[in-house]
Amino acid sequence: MPKIRIYTTPECVYCRMAKEFFEKNNISYEEKDVSVDDEAREEMIEKSGQMGAPVMDIDGKIIIGFDEEELSKILAVK
Amino acid sequence: MYDLIIIGGGPAGAAAGIYAARKKLKTLMIAADFGGQALASGNIENWIGVEKMTGLEFAKMLEKHVRAQESIEIKISEKVVTVEKISDGFDIVTDKNNNYQAKVLIIASGGHRRRLDVPGGAQFEGKGVSYCATCDAPVFKNKRVAVIGGGNAGLETAIDLMPYAEKIYLINRKNFFTGDDALREKIKRFSKISAIMNADVQKISGEKFVSGIEYLDGGDNLVKKLEVEGVFVEIGSVPNSEFVKHLVETNPKGEVIVNHKTGAASCPGVFAAGDVTDAIYKQNNVSAGDAIKAVLSAHNYLLNIKI
Repeated sequence: MPKIRIYTTPECVYCRMAKEFFEKNNISYEEKDVSVDDEAREEMIEKSGQMGAPVMDIDGKIIIGFDEEELSKILAVK
Repeated sequence: MYDLIIIGGGPAGAAAGIYAARKKLKTLMIAADFGGQALASGNIENWIGVEKMTGLEFAKMLEKHVRAQESIEIKISEKVVTVEKISDGFDIVTDKNNNYQAKVLIIASGGHRRRLDVPGGAQFEGKGVSYCATCDAPVFKNKRVAVIGGGNAGLETAIDLMPYAEKIYLINRKNFFTGDDALREKIKRFSKISAIMNADVQKISGEKFVSGIEYLDGGDNLVKKLEVEGVFVEIGSVPNSEFVKHLVETNPKGEVIVNHKTGAASCPGVFAAGDVTDAIYKQNNVSAGDAIKAVLSAHNYLLNIKI
């Protein structure tokens, strides 16, 4: 199983869609809410070089935003 | 060949789908997603019959209702690239290189956000320039930000930023806010928000990330600079009409011109509803109602009934 960390904000619809995608496919992930976790916020900006949510770190591969097709390819789910 | 193809999955597309199914039309819906522009809304509090829901809840509600219909086929994550007139209807090509044909069309493809067209606007997108306050506001915790636009979306964005940003400049090109009175009243109560009226944004500056914004002050005609790390842009939307512009008449804004009694566009057999049209009020409820009108007219058109 890949190690996934997702950086989220509470009201962000694409963050929710990404989490629902992981749950639907039984993929475990670690969530960092950058609205309350200052360290995670800096980490998200540092890793992605940008300031928008969501950001996903999948085994070191950084993905910005939610694209179901792209995620399905990376995680090899149908 | 389908009786009807609906292009779009927002409130207009969904309403069209449900009414088309009730008329037993053999229907195909092609859409990028369900919900359309409403998907990214933080809260929707004016959809008739529902006190409050998020954009995502709204999108799911529309999806569930459309999928409950029997006579409709649905293609999601697919975009229409071109539409051509053929002898007995229309031929559609999508970004997945699929071809579909139908006797009539409902264009309900909505709109997309207008980008800030000034130096630095595109360069800093995602690097301080944001088009989604509900997504990105918390990333700007304790930072100084500017919101561009004085309509409802601009005022709501300033309010969304209140719990996070250290300072919010609300930059408006006109000398009054066009947003609702209730929102204007709310804005006034927050000392953290400073309104800058009669201001025309000229440039976004920075190195790796945004560090400032320049605007022309219409009062004294001087260019002024604000130090901000975030710029939230809410300057309206652009209709998604590129793929039908050669087929139907559009106005200078690119909106499909429709007969507001019937929803008919200039090309016989093409109907349109929602934000892609020249309807004055871009509202979820209006889009749904206009789409229903368009489907009923399309049904009459198929039966050769003159109205």
